[in-house]
Amino acid sequence: MSGIINVRELAIGTRVVLSSGAEVEIVGNPGDGVWLFGRSLASNGDPGVGGEEEMIFAQDVVEVRS
Amino acid sequence: MPVNGTRGYHSGLVDLASGLISREIFVNDEIYAQEQERVFARSWLFVGHESQIPNPGDFFASRMGEESVILCRDRRGSVHVFLNSCRHRGMKVCRYDDGNTTVFTCPYHGWSYGTDGALVGVPFFREAYHSELDKSKYGLIEVAQLCCYKGTVWACWDASAPPFLEHLGEFRRFLDLMLDGWDGREGQAELLGGVQKWIIPCNWKWPAENFSGDTYHNISHRSVDLVGAGPSGRSRRDYGELNVARRLHVSLPDRGHQTITYVLPRDYQPQAAYQNSPEVAEYFRHCEEERRRRPGENSRMIGAPGEIFPNVALLPRQPRTLAVWHPVNAHQTEVWRFFFVDRDAPRSVKNFLRDYYIRYSGPAGMTEQDDMENWNYAHAASRGVIARRYPYTYEMGMGHVVEDFEFEGLRMPGRVVDLTKAMASEEPMRNLYRRWAQFMEAESWDDLMTWRRDAPREAKAAE
Repeated sequence: MSGIINVRELAIGTRVVLSSGAEVEIVGNPGDGVWLFGRSLASNGDPGVGGEEEMIFAQDVVEVRS
Repeated sequence: MPVNGTRGYHSGLVDLASGLISREIFVNDEIYAQEQERVFARSWLFVGHESQIPNPGDFFASRMGEESVILCRDRRGSVHVFLNSCRHRGMKVCRYDDGNTTVFTCPYHGWSYGTDGALVGVPFFREAYHSELDKSKYGLIEVAQLCCYKGTVWACWDASAPPFLEHLGEFRRFLDLMLDGWDGREGQAELLGGVQKWIIPCNWKWPAENFSGDTYHNISHRSVDLVGAGPSGRSRRDYGELNVARRLHVSLPDRGHQTITYVLPRDYQPQAAYQNSPEVAEYFRHCEEERRRRPGENSRMIGAPGEIFPNVALLPRQPRTLAVWHPVNAHQTEVWRFFFVDRDAPRSVKNFLRDYYIRYSGPAGMTEQDDMENWNYAHAASRGVIARRYPYTYEMGMGHVVEDFEFEGLRMPGRVVDLTKAMASEEPMRNLYRRWAQFMEAESWDDLMTWRRDAPREAKAAE
């Protein structure tokens, strides 16, 4: 195993951690292996951030929580 | 071989006064390159059918000339046609033939576009671009004009071109013969199955000319006529009514569209057809009856091969198909053939027609493969330096066209040749190349919309 996260396999509802430290819940996956749609839950840098939807680049996903 | 600059397209390479057309317009790479800019970048082109993209997010990868384009329906249900090329480094953002998606993602660096064309994802936007890239400037390139007509989707890169229906002019009634239901109801056609695609080694104008209405080449199909591939096991088609119809060439000189069409007498009664299946025969008998009950002139017209300038061929009757002659280079054409049926037809009818269409058309079809033999080898035999010295003749029937043609109260637009006695003419081909030469010489659409210039004069004359 390479240890690289295959974002194509991430189901809606999965929580992931980004390189910025933010935790995001997957709300959509186009299955292109490059992008995810996520809703931010919390951020180490800014605990006030949360609830915003954004596109997430595959290389930014560093950890799968659940 | 360089083009001789002293010979214009209209007066030299396409010499309609003498009926001679240079082989150079088929085999010359320089002319082909000019065609891409002057013909394909300015013309209305067929892209696909709405039944290919019924749901939000549906897409179909199509072509416009040499360009790959994406026909898609966005989340709100609007239809778009985009150049299939990333704004960053040009990679195709869609490499599937069709499907459903939320985004088109470039596999090269990961730029991503919504189904409305907007650039929505740029990797390292904050880090590498410092959030300074103006994403609104780099959406997918969208066509300048788009028209959905009875399910068919047409697009044009030139904002100064006339609207599609104006470009079609009076040829609309011939396109309607294919897109309306067999029973005459409007816009009932839907696509049957996928799109047949194949490459043939000849210039795109060979099939375009052929489908403009070349009845002279029927001898090529003698063998398949003998086989009896038609829907009643006779000949290639069921065209019993043609024995009483007037067979016409109709050409619209200001548009470059032309077709064969058949006009029936007023009191005509439909003939039996589709005799290889009683169920299918009954379906078409019923449709023919309904069609004749409806008001309008089209109930007495039967569609036949025709060409919408520059590269779309119609076969509204049997088999009911539309073909696009996509240019690949001067010596190659990629053919896409779309097959149509009435959307409300019973499944058994659709299955019967599928078998017939495949038996007739395409690279393995009994009729189209013999056409391709002619185009392929005629092209190859015209490429040599000696062969290029000798123009083709298009003199057949010159000076024998009629305007204001009418048969038992049914008026035909444009220039007409009555083939009932003449058997063949080359007026449709001259019409195609006349328009082609106009496109090659015109600097803008202002020069090409001759009907707008003529309209005030005609109106004044009518006063």
